[in-house]
Amino acid sequence: MVAARANGRGNELITLDDVSKHYPNGTEALRDVDLRIESGDFVFLVGSSGAGKSTLIRLLIRDELPSSGRVWVDGQDVVRMRRSAVPKLRRRVGVVFQDFKLLPRRTVAENVGFALLVTGHSDEEAREETERALSLVGLAERRDHFPDQLSGGEQQRAAMARALVSRPKILIADEPTGNLDPVTSWEIIKLLIRVNELGTTLVMATHNAEIVNALRRRVVHLDRGMVVRDEREGLYAA
Amino acid sequence: MKRVSYVLSAAWQGFWRNPVMSLASTFTVGLMLLLFAFFLATDRGLQATVGVLESKVELALFLEDDAKVSDVLALRAQIEADPAVSHVDYITRDQAMARLVDIASRQPDIQIVDISSNPLQNSLEIKLQNAQDAPRIGATLRQEVGKGVVYEVVDNPSVVDKLLTITRVLSFGGVAVLAMMLVVALFVIVNTIRIAVHARRDEIEIMKLVGATDWFVRWPFILEGMLVGALGAMAALTVVVLAAGPVSNALVGFLEIVPLSFGAAFLWQLVGSVFALALAVGGGGAMLSVRAHLAK
Repeated sequence: MVAARANGRGNELITLDDVSKHYPNGTEALRDVDLRIESGDFVFLVGSSGAGKSTLIRLLIRDELPSSGRVWVDGQDVVRMRRSAVPKLRRRVGVVFQDFKLLPRRTVAENVGFALLVTGHSDEEAREETERALSLVGLAERRDHFPDQLSGGEQQRAAMARALVSRPKILIADEPTGNLDPVTSWEIIKLLIRVNELGTTLVMATHNAEIVNALRRRVVHLDRGMVVRDEREGLYAA
Repeated sequence: MKRVSYVLSAAWQGFWRNPVMSLASTFTVGLMLLLFAFFLATDRGLQATVGVLESKVELALFLEDDAKVSDVLALRAQIEADPAVSHVDYITRDQAMARLVDIASRQPDIQIVDISSNPLQNSLEIKLQNAQDAPRIGATLRQEVGKGVVYEVVDNPSVVDKLLTITRVLSFGGVAVLAMMLVVALFVIVNTIRIAVHARRDEIEIMKLVGATDWFVRWPFILEGMLVGALGAMAALTVVVLAAGPVSNALVGFLEIVPLSFGAAFLWQLVGSVFALALAVGGGGAMLSVRAHLAK
C-alpha cells in the first residue's frame, strides 16, 4: 500500500483520501476532502477564516489526526504512523507561520541552528547548514541580530531559514504575509517562489488575493471544510 | 556534544528562572529526605540495640550490697534447678566495672570520668534455654526482692519486646509520614516543573515543530527535577552530618551502653539511599509534569 501510494501515482507527495475532521465541540473543520499534491507543486490554499485551512495544515504535520480518512505525506501513512516516527516526518516538512515563532533571546543564527541542534546534528553540520539557509533567505549579514532588532519581513525570512535548514521536501506556509506590508509581502513571496524553483514543494494558506491572482498557480479553495474548487493557474476567487 | 550542553544549560537555566519555586521545592524535598534519613538511622540503631540485647543475658538479678555470699549461692542453686534455665553466672561489682570500662574503651564517645568509686552492684546473670520463659522466671524472682538478697530484677526480653514494639511503631509511623512527605514533595516538584514548562512553552512548541524527539524535549526538565532532588539530598545530608554527633551522644546517654556508632558501610548506604530517593522523586515528578504537557 505504501509503495502503491509512493510510486503508483507518480510524484505524489501529499495525499488526502476522504478526510474529515470534526472537533469534540461539534465543529466540522474538514468534510470528505480529497487532495493530491505532487512533488514540486506550488499550491495556494484559499478560503475564509474557519474554512479549514489551518486544520488541513495541522494534519500534514500530524499536529492533529483526522476523524476519518487517510493522510499520506512523502509516502508515509500519517494517521497510522507511530508516535515515535512523528519527529522524522516533521524534519521533512518545514513550516512557517504568520507570527514567525522565533525565540526572542536567541540570535537569528541560533534560531535557525536550533532546528538542527535539537534534532541531533553535529555542530559543524549545524553551522554549515545555518549559513546556507541564511544566505538563501538573504539574512547572512544579520545572523547575530536578535529578532526584535529585525523588521517583520526579516523575521519571516529568519523563520523561513529555520524551516528550510533541514532541507525539507515540503514547505508549508500558513499566512506567511499576514503580518507584513505589501512590499515586504512580495519579498517573501519572491523568496517562496525561489525555494519552490529549487525543488521544494510549497503549500501556502493565504488571504492575499493580489498575490494569488498575480502568480496564477494552483489554487485549492476550501469552504466550510470542503474543497469547492481546485484549479491549475487559478485565481483567488472563481 | 552541543546537544548535551544544550540540555544541561536548559536544565540549569530552568532552575534559576524561578528561584523561589525551585528553592521551595528543594527545601520540601530536603525535609522529606531528612525524615527518610532519620527513620533509616533510627531503625538501624534500634535493630542494632535489639541485637545486642538479645545476645546478652536474659535476666539479671542485682544483689543487695550486704547480701550474704551463702544466701547468694543458695539462690543461685535454686535458680539453676529450674529446667528452663541454662546457666547462672555470678558477676561481682568489680567484674561489672571491668566490663563497663572495656565497653567504654571501644566507644570513642563515652568516657568514664571517675573510677575511684564503684557504683555498680554484684549480680546474677541468668541465661535461659528459651527466652520466652523470661517473664515467668522474672516474676518468680521478683518475689525475692526486698528479702535481703535481691535488690532488683531486670528482664531483658521484655526490654527487647518494648524495643521491638517501638521499632514497629516507628516503621509504620515512619512509612506513613514518609509517604505523605513523598506526596507533598512530588506535588511541589510537579508544579515547579509545570511552571518551568510553561516558561519555555514557545521553545517546546518550536522543538516539536522542527522534529525534536519527545525525549529531547523532556530531558532538560527531568534533569531540572533531578537537580532539585540532588540539592535537597545535599541539604538533608548536611543536616544529618551536623546533627549526627549530638543526637547519637544523646541517644547513648538515653539508652546507656548501646553501641550506636554506625560505621562507614551504613553511612554510604544512607548517602546512596537518600540520593537514589532524591533523584527518583525529582526525575519522576518532572516526568509526570512533562508527560501531561507532551501528551497532546
